[in-house]
This record gives sequence, C-alpha cells and structure tokens, in this order.
Amino acid sequence: MFSKLALRNVRRSFRDYGVYLLTLTFGVCLFYTFNSIEGQGAIVYLSQSKNPMVDAIMMIIDIFSVFVAVVLACLILYANRFLLRRRKRELGTYLLLGLSQGQVSRLLFLETGIVGLISLAAGLGLGVLASFGMSALTLSMFEMDMSALLAVNFSPAAAGKTVLYFGIIFLLVMLFSGVRVSRSKLIDLIHGERKNEVLKPRPLMAAVVQLAAGVICLAGAYAILLTFGMALAVAVPFLCFPMLGLGTAGTLLIFRSLSGFVMKFVQGHPGVYYKNLNVFTLRQWLSKVHTTYLAQTVVCILLLLSIGVTASSVGLNNTLSAMTDGEAPVDITLWDYCDEESGESPMDFPALLREGGFDLDVRLSGHSSLILYRNDPEVASFEREGEAPVQAVLSVSDYNRQLALLGQPSIALAPGESKIVEESPVNGASHWRYLIVEDEAVQGLEVSCHCWSANYAGQAEESERMIFQLIQPYDNTRSIYANSRLETYMDVMGSKILALFLGLYLGFTFLLAAAAVLALQQLSQAADNTGRYSILRRLGAEERQVKKSATQQVALAFLLPLALALVHSVVGMKAANDIIATAGRVDSAASSFVTAGVLLAVYGGYFLATALTCRRMAKNA
Amino acid sequence: MSEILTVTDLRKVYGKGGAVTRALDGVSLSLEAGEFVGVMGPSGSGKTTLLNCVSTIDRPSAGSIVIDGKELTKLKGKELAKFRRERLGFIFQDCNLLDTLTAYENIALSLSIVRAPAQKIDKRVREMAEFLGITECLNKYPYQMSGGQQQRCAAARAMVTHPALVLADEPTGALDSKASSMLLSRLDALNQELGTTILMVTHDAFTASCCRRVVFLQDGRLFLELHRGNDSRKVFFQKIIQVVTRMGGGMADVL
Repeated sequence: MFSKLALRNVRRSFRDYGVYLLTLTFGVCLFYTFNSIEGQGAIVYLSQSKNPMVDAIMMIIDIFSVFVAVVLACLILYANRFLLRRRKRELGTYLLLGLSQGQVSRLLFLETGIVGLISLAAGLGLGVLASFGMSALTLSMFEMDMSALLAVNFSPAAAGKTVLYFGIIFLLVMLFSGVRVSRSKLIDLIHGERKNEVLKPRPLMAAVVQLAAGVICLAGAYAILLTFGMALAVAVPFLCFPMLGLGTAGTLLIFRSLSGFVMKFVQGHPGVYYKNLNVFTLRQWLSKVHTTYLAQTVVCILLLLSIGVTASSVGLNNTLSAMTDGEAPVDITLWDYCDEESGESPMDFPALLREGGFDLDVRLSGHSSLILYRNDPEVASFEREGEAPVQAVLSVSDYNRQLALLGQPSIALAPGESKIVEESPVNGASHWRYLIVEDEAVQGLEVSCHCWSANYAGQAEESERMIFQLIQPYDNTRSIYANSRLETYMDVMGSKILALFLGLYLGFTFLLAAAAVLALQQLSQAADNTGRYSILRRLGAEERQVKKSATQQVALAFLLPLALALVHSVVGMKAANDIIATAGRVDSAASSFVTAGVLLAVYGGYFLATALTCRRMAKNA
Repeated sequence: MSEILTVTDLRKVYGKGGAVTRALDGVSLSLEAGEFVGVMGPSGSGKTTLLNCVSTIDRPSAGSIVIDGKELTKLKGKELAKFRRERLGFIFQDCNLLDTLTAYENIALSLSIVRAPAQKIDKRVREMAEFLGITECLNKYPYQMSGGQQQRCAAARAMVTHPALVLADEPTGALDSKASSMLLSRLDALNQELGTTILMVTHDAFTASCCRRVVFLQDGRLFLELHRGNDSRKVFFQKIIQVVTRMGGGMADVL
C-alpha cells in the first residue's frame, strides 16, 4: 500500500518537480565524471609516462569531491525543503486521515529512496557519456595524436564512490524529511497554502539612481581592467580588490534596480506599457526583485567564472607550447658536470650510447656536443659593467654546431668580438645568459660541463627510454642530468590538466547550484502566481497571453544574468586579448566551444525545465 | 427596452448515475438593458451556479443563455475569452485585485486586455475612478487600501470596459456596513446614470433592497420575483424580509 502510494507520488513528482530530479541527476553525473578521471584518456596517458602530477591530480580531485558533495548535499536539502513546502497540504491530509507521523515519514522515506535510485541510475548513465566527453576534451589538448586512448569506459570504483556519497546524501534527506514531518503541527500543514505576502512600495526614482550607480561602478571596474590589462589588474592587490568590489557592487545594483528602471521608462511609453499583459509582467518582475537579485548576482558571477575557465584553457594551451619551446629547444639534453678535483675526462655520450646498442644514425635526426666554460673575469674580463652575470661561455664554433641542430642560421664573430645570447640552445637552462666568444678565447677558461643534445628521428618515447636506461648506471658515480622535452611537456601538461579539471569541476558544481536555486525560486513564485493567473483569465485574458507572461518572467530571471555575464566576459577577453589573440589554435578553440556549449546546455536545460513547469502551472491555475 | 440577458430553462447537474445533484433545475430569467437585478436564496439554492454559468466560467448541462444576442453555450475557447473580456464585467466577494499592481494599473489592465488604444486608457481610468470616488488611491497597492476602496476599485475594473452586463457575486460580503452602503450607492449611481446592467448575487436583504428587482432561488428553481416599482428602499427591504421569512429555515441565518 505504502509503496503504491509512494510510486504514484514519485510519478507525479516527475511531472511537477522536474527541476528536483534534474538537479539530482546532474549532481550524480558531475560527481561520477570527475571521480572517474583515472580511466580517462589524458590521465591514462600521463600515468603511463609516470607523471608525478597524476597522484596530485587524483588527490586534489578527491579532496574537492568532499567539498562538492557538501555543496550538492546542501542543494538537494534545499530542493527537498522546497518540495516539502509545496506538499504541506497533502501531508496534512495524510495526517488528518489518520496516518501516524511515523507512517508519513516512512512514506517520504520510500519516495526519497525511489527518486534516489532513479536519479542515481540516470546520473551514472549520463556520467559515463560525460566521462567520455571529458576524455575527448582533455586529449584534444595534447599536441600529439592520442585518439587511440579515447574509449568509453565505466569505472566501478568511481560509481561505488558516487553511490556511497549520494547514499549518504539521500539518507540525510530522508532523515531531514522525517524530522520535518514529525515536528510540524497539523494546523500549519493544513493551512500551509495561506500566507501573507509583504509588498513594500519602492519609489521608482530610487531604482533609476541605483541603476546609474551600478553602471558607474561597472564602468569603474571595466576601466581598471582595460587600462592596466588582465595580468596586472588581477595580480596587484590594490587594483584587484577595488576592481572585483566595484564589479560585484555594480552587478548587484543593476540586478536590483533594472526592473524599476525599465518600469519607469516604460511608463512613459503607454503604447508598450498597456500592450497585452506587459503591465502585469513588469509588476511581477518588480515585486520579485528583492528575492531574486542576490541569486541572479551569484549566477552571473558563476557564469562569468565558467566562461573564464573555458577562455583561459585556450590561453593556457598556447602558453604551454611557448613554455615547452623555451624550456626545451631540443628533444633531449644530457648534462655532465665536471668535477675539478677528480679530474675525470668528460663523458663521451655518443660512444656510451653506441656501446649500449643505441643506433645514433637511425634513432636520431641529429646531435651535437657543447662545452660550457665558467666565466672567469681574471682570465678574460668578458663580464660587462652593470649587466646581469653571464652563466656560461661558449666558443663560436660549438655554438654554431648547436644552432645547426636547432635548424637556425649560424653567426659570425669579428676578431676580438663577443656576443651575449639569452636564448638557450640547450634544454634545462632557459634563463641563462650565454657569452659567445672566438674559439681561441676559451682556452684557459675552466670547463663547467659537457652538454650533449639530440633530436629524435621518431619513436621518441622508446628512444628516450633506451637513453635513460643506458645512463642510469652512472647516476651515483657522476653528476649526470638529463633534460628531455617530453618530460617538460608532461610536467606542464599535468598542471594544465589539473587546472582544467578543477576549474570545470568547481565551475559546473557552482553553475548547477546557482541554476537550481534560481529554478526553484522561480517555481515557488509560479506556485504563488496561480491565483493571479486565474484572475487574469477571469478578466478575459487569452490562454496564450497568460502563458507568455509566465515564460517572460522566467526568461527575465534566467537570461539577465547570462546577458550581463557575457558582457563581463567580453570586456574580460578584451583585457586578456594579448594572451588570447595569439592562441589561434583551432583544436583548442573547438574544445572551448564544446565546453561553453555544455555549460549553456546545463543552464539552458534548467531554463527550459523551469519555463515549461511554470507554463503548466499557469495553465492549471 | 431590449433584452440583454435571456436564460431559458437552464439546468446544471453535478455527478452521475444515482447520485446526482441538480444545482439548477430549469431556471428561466431575463434582464433588460439598464436593469439592476438581485438574486437571493439560501446556501445551495443555485445562486452561484447560475452566476458561474452566465459568466461563462461554468457550462450548463442544458438550456440556453443568450447575452446581447449571442448564444453562450455555443462559444468555445478563444471566442469565449473574447466574449468574456468584451461583454462581461466581474465583481467578486474577495475583490480579486492583482496585489502586485497599483489600483490604477488594475483598472488599466482590463483595458489592455480588451486592447483599448493606449492613448485613451488614461482618460477612461480616471473618469471611472472619479465616478467611484477612488481617485486619491489610484497609485496605491491593494493592501494599502481599505476593503471598501478595494471593492470600488474592483467595480471600476469591471465597468471601465463598458460591458453589456456586470456580474457581481456577493460584492458586499466582506465589507462593513458603511463600506457596503458606499459601494451600493455607487453601483446604484452607475446603474442610474450610466445605464449599466447589473446582475448581483447576494445573501443580504439590505444589499438586495437597492436593486430594482429581486429574484429568489430555492433548490435550483425560481421561487419568487419582487419588483421594487416606486417603493422606497425601506419598504422594498420590508417586502424582501417577508419573503425571506416565508422561505423559512434556509434563509434564517441571513437575518
């Protein structure tokens, strides 16, 4: 009997409370997707190459998952409270019919259980798809072709974790509902529909002033951002805080006053004011401002953050390539630091590799050796007054050989001339200053180290593994260092993917929370509006117009934050133009569009679900 | 005078099979243009059902309702909404003003709904407000006005579109005696001076006594009709009381 009633109630919930189920399903999907990254292409690749970032990523995602779970739990509890409030009358009727509070609690218990199971199943299904999407997104950020690693995969561990966390959340919801029912009084439940609404008259002029103040605040924030540029405005505290403060205050003021301003403006245009149900729609908007403007501000900022994460992932992709090139101009550099006291002869890397069976002619497309000398002002006073110190001295013929390996034109020195070079020709010494001198001039200088650089002819990973294996025996006896481009790339890639995962994870969580709160607010308002809609209908307003007014109200609540967030991000992008303009890589742009599309789909999903439910509520009024 | 409303053999049956309730059991009634008619009767006599059918909110089971030459029972959907907004005005007991709109906007909204030209709206709203004595509270919200002002505002909203027929359902039900008198005198003036046809359902003999004619319903049938003729309001009130007493128990509660 109870399960029958519970099932019937849940079926009705499907129709009336789509937003609740949507939130649960998206929440489960989000949680699963980010906890299943272990099986996703990018992480699989990074862990295959033993990237130390993998553990860090997994650990940080684990920690943030707890935080996300707490946010989702609060959200679900809020949504559930909203549901319970809407069902006060029904619950009161159960009690009036003689069910005990324990039995009603049990009914709610069953309902939550059924809803939980449905949303878990749907969310996990959606999560497997989303996980595949994430995999494709992160793999597309590597410069290499990784399509082999792209596959649909189901992670039982992540699913188990999701079930565990959400199981706890659902238990909390059940407990919460039970406690609420057992503590509520019958009279409150029966008269739950009646409520006194407090409306305060607010002079419209005040709204005009507030809007002006809001626009000035935003203009100030934009001015700071555009004058000093993104990098400076964010990094310097006394620029950053006023900018963020002004921006937030401006956004807040605009959402608070826009309806009043529009009202004031439209009142001067009777043709618009008295058209269809415009008076009603505008007044509704104005009267709800004080319950919605905070939520709208938060949603706007979160949307901005989400857009920002997407845009910066494009920027990051480009900086990454630049960084890798700066740090590692060649595929691999082996360093052998000479020990003066032991007086050992420098390591002959080509010979060592050949002995170990490494075919230099086949596996390498080119290689060269360099001798780096210490600069000794007493022997040769190359150091110039007032300049940064020189870290290494090179002979011009060595340097030209290295330039040939890099595919760059050689340089020529006039007799007695020397030249400072700041661009490192080898890996692992990117911020050094090199002094290039004539071959004779290096005689008498102390040798600092030998550098051997090479570019692979293909099969980079295998060649690199072989080289590392061959030099490993000397690890303890000599100070040999290897610096490979692949390693540098992986390091940077790891941090980039970490940033991306975290940004998306938090971005989506907050977006979900904000959109759900906005949707629930709109739904509860729509429920309050049913009486007003029935008056309109009695006055002879057409069904179509009433529905249109309901949709317009939801659209105002949802689209205004999106519109302002887009304005903010356009300004932000303009400020960060120097970073983004150079990032013209098509694939990263495509993946950013996909991310933006998914963000909009989630937000749009909430908008549609809310608008449809509100229309239905208006119709049944 | 021409007939505005003609109700012929109206029947409304609730329920099916053995358990039927005949809310209206063959009511016939006609109103001429400019009449002010009251409908009285005990609870369950069918007053509200009659009003709901005439106001197109409910559909009768049988019979016909003709307003201004239009057969209501044949209208559907959009036509019905169009007819309702252009030919009918409503005043309810709980006045039903939209609480988010000012008095002015409440009145103007019904003009927007009938798509009155925007430049004429202001003039019409102010005229009607002046007639009903609510000019000073036009910019107030419903909760800032007294019950009587709210009800007069609702009356203004109902009349401003110049409907063929105004339907009032217990308009004084929630008002104190002073506010009732005020509202009734304004309704009477509207009827006398603007020639608005009003059909008012009421419980209260005093309220009914300001009508030109009162019809009594009992158990879904027309029980009696009283014409005021040239009687003073006091005499007419006495006559109504007599009928109520004759009708017995069912109406005792209203005295």
